[in-house]
Order: sequence, then C-alpha cells, then structure tokens
Amino acid sequence: MSNFLQYTIFGIMLGAGYAIAATGLVVTYTTSGVFNFAQGALGMIAAFCYWELVSVDHVPVLVAVLVVVVLGGAVAGALVERVLMRRLHGASAERPVMVTLGLLVILTGVATIVWSPTTSRSVDNMVHGQFRLVGINIQYQEVLIIGVALAVAAGLRALFRSTRSGYALRAVVDDPDLLAMAGVSPNRMSQYGWMLGTMMAALAGVLLAPTQTSGISIAAMTLLVVNGYAAAIVGRLRSIPVTFAAAVAIGLAENYVINYVLPHLPQNLTPDITYALPMVFLFLALVTLPSVRLRAVGRLTTMRAPRVAGGFESIVAGLVFFVAAAIVAITFANTAFKGTTVLDLGGLIMSLGIVGLSLVLLTGYSGQVSLCQFAFMGIGAFVMGKVAGGGSVLGLLAATAVCAGIGALVSLPTVRLSDLYLALATFAFADAVATGFFADNHIYGAGGVSIGRIVLPGLSFGGDQAEFLMVTAFFVLAAWLVLAIRRSLFGRRLVAVNDSPAAYATVGLDIGFTKVAVFAIAAGMAGLAGALYGTVQGVVGQTDFAIFPGVIFVLFVTIWSIRTVSGAFLAAVTYVVLNQVWPNGVGLFAGLGIILIGRAASGLLGIEALQVRLPWVKGSPDTAGVRPAAPLGGPAMAGGSSRVAG
Amino acid sequence: MSPAEGSAAGADVLTVSDVAVRFGGVAALREASLTVRAGTVTGLIGPNGAGKTTLFNVVSGLQHPDRGTVRLFGTDITRMKPHRRARLGLARTFQRLELFGTLSAGENVQVGLESSVKWWQWRHVRSSFPTIRNRRADGAEARPTGPGSTAVVTSDRLLDGVGLAGLADRQSSALPTGSARMVELARALALAPKLLLLDEPGSGLDDAESQSLGELLTTLARGGMAVLLVEHDMELVMRICEYIYVLDFGDVIASGTPDEIRTNPLVQAAYLGAVAGPADGSAGGGGNRVEA
Ligand SMILES: Nc1ncnc2c1ncn2[C@@H]1O[C@H](COP(=O)(O)OP(=O)(O)OP(=O)(O)O)[C@@H](O)[C@H]1O
Ligand SMILES: [Mg+2]
Repeated sequence: MSNFLQYTIFGIMLGAGYAIAATGLVVTYTTSGVFNFAQGALGMIAAFCYWELVSVDHVPVLVAVLVVVVLGGAVAGALVERVLMRRLHGASAERPVMVTLGLLVILTGVATIVWSPTTSRSVDNMVHGQFRLVGINIQYQEVLIIGVALAVAAGLRALFRSTRSGYALRAVVDDPDLLAMAGVSPNRMSQYGWMLGTMMAALAGVLLAPTQTSGISIAAMTLLVVNGYAAAIVGRLRSIPVTFAAAVAIGLAENYVINYVLPHLPQNLTPDITYALPMVFLFLALVTLPSVRLRAVGRLTTMRAPRVAGGFESIVAGLVFFVAAAIVAITFANTAFKGTTVLDLGGLIMSLGIVGLSLVLLTGYSGQVSLCQFAFMGIGAFVMGKVAGGGSVLGLLAATAVCAGIGALVSLPTVRLSDLYLALATFAFADAVATGFFADNHIYGAGGVSIGRIVLPGLSFGGDQAEFLMVTAFFVLAAWLVLAIRRSLFGRRLVAVNDSPAAYATVGLDIGFTKVAVFAIAAGMAGLAGALYGTVQGVVGQTDFAIFPGVIFVLFVTIWSIRTVSGAFLAAVTYVVLNQVWPNGVGLFAGLGIILIGRAASGLLGIEALQVRLPWVKGSPDTAGVRPAAPLGGPAMAGGSSRVAG
Repeated sequence: MSPAEGSAAGADVLTVSDVAVRFGGVAALREASLTVRAGTVTGLIGPNGAGKTTLFNVVSGLQHPDRGTVRLFGTDITRMKPHRRARLGLARTFQRLELFGTLSAGENVQVGLESSVKWWQWRHVRSSFPTIRNRRADGAEARPTGPGSTAVVTSDRLLDGVGLAGLADRQSSALPTGSARMVELARALALAPKLLLLDEPGSGLDDAESQSLGELLTTLARGGMAVLLVEHDMELVMRICEYIYVLDFGDVIASGTPDEIRTNPLVQAAYLGAVAGPADGSAGGGGNRVEA
C-alpha cells in the first residue's frame, strides 16, 4: 500500500511536469495556430542552462530559475515568434511544422556542441528534504512541482477565461481581422503566446531535470515532452484543464506500468516497453479525438506548381544520370573522402535519395508530413538482414512490403484527423522505434545487424562499383516511379487532396484511402532504401536511423525542394557530405536553412534567381505566394478552430 | 410546400426535412425543408447569413445536422460520407472557391472525370504513360492522357461548355474568380451528376456570361438533371428557376413559383431587413433586391 502511494505521488509529479510543457503547447497553438515541435528542445536548453548556473556557477536556485525561466523563456519566445514564425504568414500548411523542427535540431545541435554528451550532469532537487504523510515519504520537490503546475494551470485558465485578454489571445487564430479592427495587434498577441509557451517549456525542463537520475541528456530531455504531446492532444490542443488532467493521468500510468507491469515481463522486453509508452499514449490520445470536420475554407493555394517532367524526358534524364554515375564510379574507384570511399558515400547518397523521393511523393505532392522515414529505413534494413541470409532480392522485397504494411498501420489512426496529427504520430513512432527497437541490444543494438551484398544467379554486386551502380539504378527507378505517379491520375489525386480536401470528397474520392495509400507507398520506398543502405554499409547499428537525423534529412529535402526529384537528390548529397565533414553541425545547417527558406514553397530550387544560375534545374519559379487566409497556415493544417475552452 | 403538381418536373431527387444546425449560439438552420425534382432548376435564395451555404454543406455531407434528414432518391443519406454521396450522383460547387489550385483547369476537370476509376484498375498504370497507345472498342485510337486522350477530349468539351475554351492549360489558381467558378462547374459536371448544387455560380460573371450560365443550367435541367441554385442575382434566379425557396434566419419562410415569390410580402420584408442591416462585402455584385 505504501509503495502504491509512493508510486502515485511520483506519477502525479511526473504528470505535473508533463502538464506544464503540454499546456505550454496549448497556449502557443491557441495563439498562433502552430504546434511547437521544439517545445521539448526549449525545455532541454533551459535545463542545461539551469545546470550551468547552479552546478557550475553556484548561482542561488531562485535566481537561476528567474533567469532561465522568466527572463530566458520570455526573450527566447519573443525572438522565436518575431524571427521565425511571423514570416510564415501564408506559407503552405506544413511549413510552420518544418520551422519548429528546424528550431528543434538547431537547439539540439547547439547543445551537443556546448555541452559535450560525454560529461555527466546531474541536477539537484531545488528544494531538499521530505516529510511523512500516511506512512510514505513525500519529497518537498514533488510538492513543489505539483504545486507549481497547479498554479500555472490555474493562472492560464484565469487568463484565457477573462474577457479581455482571453478573447484577444483566442481571436488571433480564429478571427485576426476582427481583432485588428478592435485595435489589438494579432502579431503582438501571438508573440505573448510564444513567450508564455516558451516560459512553460523552460519551467518544465528545469523542474523535470532532477528526475533524470543518471544525469540530464540532450536527447532524453528533448523527448521527455512527447508524453506532453499526448496530453495536449487529449485536450484537443485547446482545453487547458483537460490537458492538465490527461498529463497527470499519463504520468501516473507511466509510473504504474514501470513499477507494476514491467517487473513481470521478460527482462529483455523492459526497455522497449518503457520507450514505447509515449507512443502508446499518443496513439490512444489520437483515438479519442473526434474526426475532423471537412470544411470548405476557400482557395488557399496559389503557389506555382513545379513542372513535371514528361515520360520521355524523364527516361532520358535518368539514363544520363546513370551514365554520369558510372563515370564517377570509374573515375573515383579508389578515392576516399574523410575516411570513407567515394563509392560508399555515393551508395549512401543514392539510398537516401530514395528516401527523399518518398518524401516528394508524400509531402511534396500530397502535403502530408512524415518524420519517421528513417525509422522505416531502419526496419527495412533489419528485415533485409534477417531474410534469406541477408543479401537477397527477396530481402529487398520483404523490406518494402513490411514497411508498406507498417506504414499503413501508422497512418491509419490519423487519416480521419487533420495532417498535423500525422506529423505527431510519425514523430512518436520514430521516437519509439529508434529508442525501443533500434537501441535494444537484443534486437538491433550492440553489434548491429549485418547485411550482405546482393547476389543474383550469375551476377554479384560484391564489388564496390557494381554495388554503387546497383543502388544508383534503384534511385533512377524510384525517380521514374515518383514522376510516373505524378503524371498519372493517382498523382493528380494526390495533389488534389492536398489542395482542397473538401472538393476532393465532394467529387466522390475517398480522402482516407488516398492518404493511407500514399503513406504506405512512401513507407515502402523508405524500407527499400533502408535495405539498400544496409547493403552499402554492411552493418547497420543503432545510431544510423535515430530520430533527429531523420528530422534533419526531412529539413534538407524541404530546403532544396520537397516538390522535385532533384530536390530529393541534392538533399541526400548535402546530408551525406555534411555528415562526413562536420557531423555535429549538420543540424545547425538544416535548421538555419529551413529558417532562411521561410515560406518559399519549392525551396531553393524554386527560387528564380537561383534558377538563372542553375539552368539545368527544372520547374517554374516559386514566385506566387499563398493568400494568407489564416495566420501561419496552422489551423488549415490542424483543422477546426483552436479555441481554448476555459 | 412542394412544387405544384402537374408541372413538367420529374421524381423527387432531393428531400431535406426539418434540418437544424447550430454553431455555438448561432442557429444557422432551424427547420429547413425543401424538395428538388429531376428536370428542374430550383432556386434557394435568402439574405446573407440565412443559412444557404450551411444547407448545401448538410446536403453534400460536409456538415452534420443536429436534427433532420436528407434523402437522395428516397435513400436516407444524412449520415453518409461526402464521397459516397457524390458517387450516388450528387455534385456541388463552392461559394468560396475550392479548386485544386496547383492543377491546371483541365486537370481539375479530369480529376472529376476519373473519380470513378478504382485503385485496382489498369487505367492508373496506363495514365502514367501518355505515349502508350491503346485501341478503343470502336477501333479508334485513344491515348489515356495527354493531347488527344479521351479524358482530355472530354474535359476540353466540358470546359468549352462553360465558356472556358482554350484555358485548359492555365493553372487554376491563377484564373479570375468568374472563370474559376466555371472550372468548378465543369468539374462538377464531369461527375455526370443527377443532382447539382450551385453556390452563387453567378458572382464574378459579367452579364453575357451569366446569360449563358442561365442557358446552360436550363439545358441541363431539360436533360433531366436536378439543379439547386443559390444565387444573389435575382434576375437570373427569377428567369430560370421553376420553383424557389426563400431562407431567412435558418427557416424556409416562403416557397413557390417566381411570380409567387416576387409578390410575397414576407420575402420582401426579409430582404428589406437585410438591406437595412450591416452591409456584407461577400454579397458580390448581384445585389439583394427582389424585383416586385
Ligand atoms: N463554420 C461555422 N462556424 C460558425 N458559424 C458559422 C459557420 N458557418 C456558418 N456560420 C454562421 O451560420 C449562419 C449561416 O451561414 P451561411 O454561410 O450558411 O449563410 P449563407 O446564406 O450562405 O450566407 P451568404 O449569402 O453570405 O453566403 C451565419 O450566421 C454564419 O455566420
Ligand atoms: Mg453562402
């Protein structure tokens, strides 16, 4: 009994921490229509700054909290809104998501450079000591966290319920024109929202840091709030009390599962289940959501579509590309670049290029965001390694099929919801697979999975040149496939479902089916790419398909152009080369790049000035903007209003 | 209140009974009922905010009603998903444009034309290779897409029909509002619908264009189609509609032939009230007057 109470108190405290972060998400979403994927990273930075102040500089705790949470949070939030988000008015719906992801990888990148991951840093409780109540020990720290969380939630509720401020904060997204007519600047209100949201991220980071008993780590602190996502979703991104209650329930559930369920399970399953918990909560939360109502919102897209290469043209371009690759294979047969042979790097580029192509299909055409393409790669490589001796064509097929199947399952719970939830679900899936599956020593980790080179009867791809050309051939085939799909009637449907879901449904087409289908195809492509990546690497380990590299790669594709085949290829080149040159800096490039690209829908390749200098880059310039019907495109993506229910 | 017996109208295509929709404190529809018959153009008029678009959304499945039923050919479709309703023969256009903006005008229409192609059908593959020729049953050669293909020929014909000949290759989001509305109409017609809902198709059209729109709708109705028309251009409505429903604050306050509506005092009161109220920019050039 006393154990149970002990677990309960700790669970409530965890939940209270999640609740602070989650209500922060709700505040930002309400006031700007943007779901902030960097919420966890902001909390992580706050936790490290707090550690720096308290443990290194011996600043008094209260001062450190004020500096980090109040001052740091407010300034950071104001800057994020002003510098990153405000420029996105009228961007396509997925862009705000991409920019907050850019912020996420910048923050984790900077943290990796500033706070070397090899040092151990543990953060002390803010308040020490404990007292006994009904036979259990209660830490003052626990009381503090729960109390602060309650105070924050109550304060926010009062703020949003009060007529003046509440109305002004809510109306930013729902009715910016009316707000402007009332003499309140919607931008200013958005900025307040980001300041509040960021302060709460910082507060959650600082309060939860001491729970990391083995010291705070960049990844763990950043991903700690994935639980908060689930809570915010249960609160439908607008209700603060419901979000709070859901966060506490999740904290409790997590702690009960860890203490009561896991001890009875086989030892080797334990870590997987622990890591999978946030995803389980998120998927459960998704199921609780009511279907999004299709709404006729009026024409939003006026962006120019990149030209799609014709069949003949793409065949010629593909052959030329292949011949060029063959010349590279001959010329650089024995050259190495920073310790890796050029041919191996080339193979990695081509296989990542296929992942990029899957994103062109999925995000560029149909507008859905997937943050788990690397997870599919990892699963594909795993399947490849386990099927028919690890080097057979059968393995390639199996990798494609398994990933397509899993892809359908991942996207299924979200199709009746708006696209934002797919991004969230894929983020949680990527996190669960990377930390639970890939990092598990029994399944994937430690030695990694070995994958052989493909042998066909009478034809072996054991040589480096043959291997490189084989992967190149697959890239060319994948590019043809993507272009053929775009030219086909299915391709028109993909673009159509993105441009106007309401019209899509009313011409008799099934939105859900189309979305699941394209997600499954893209997942299958990523699985195939992973299998090929495995044949290049020989062994794939736990770090190959982690969540942040996956996010970074999506950003590079977006930066170059998520709407063209060349964008996918150039993103793969950038990613592989930068990783070779400065692995720690890749995230910085990706994050800064996406911020600079801002709302240009077709990325660098869509910018007219660049096309003059790169005459071989096809596609029409991305000059036209999008009519800013809703601020930041957020609600268009998330659907429905983002009213905070008091 | 059903259309006069003995008119040329055919069977009931659409029956809306006692539909109510609330948005928070606003009752967009209270107890709206109406019937649309095959082979007629039926008008649905009312001041701004009367609930006309909401009614269209209820009929096409974009809005669940709080109460009431919608029947299509006698089948209750109140809970049916929008795409299934479309497959039963319902098509619509939108007051606030809902084009597939990144596609060309012609492709917008093609998506409609091809909407009955199922995922397992060979046409998916064929359509990605515009250069492959295939023989049609009648011996003529046709290409699945690209110049000369059947879908393109048909979409060109549909665009011609709404007065957009030669605009097939223009990106639809770059078209002026009037033309964009006609692309939506062509896309709806591509479904070969039995019931066509048009939400203010005439706004953004000049006099000559709205004249030919009227003729087109009359022709379609003569061919057996049921058309439900929401329009602020009273002249057009009075000219082509056989029967008219008047909606005000979510209630059908009157219905009848154009002559009956024109002289109905309730209708005049509703419209005068609306004109006296705050002006609404979305009314378009049509004006809200009822000709007495
Ligand atoms: N999604 C919505 N949320 C809240 N209120 C809505 C919504 N859609 C419509 N309304 C309200 O319902 C009422 C009816 O709107 P509706 O658009 O159906 O009118 P309408 O007759 O089409 O007007 P108009 O002639 O201006 O097009 C209006 O008061 C409107 O403000
Ligand atoms: Mg309307």
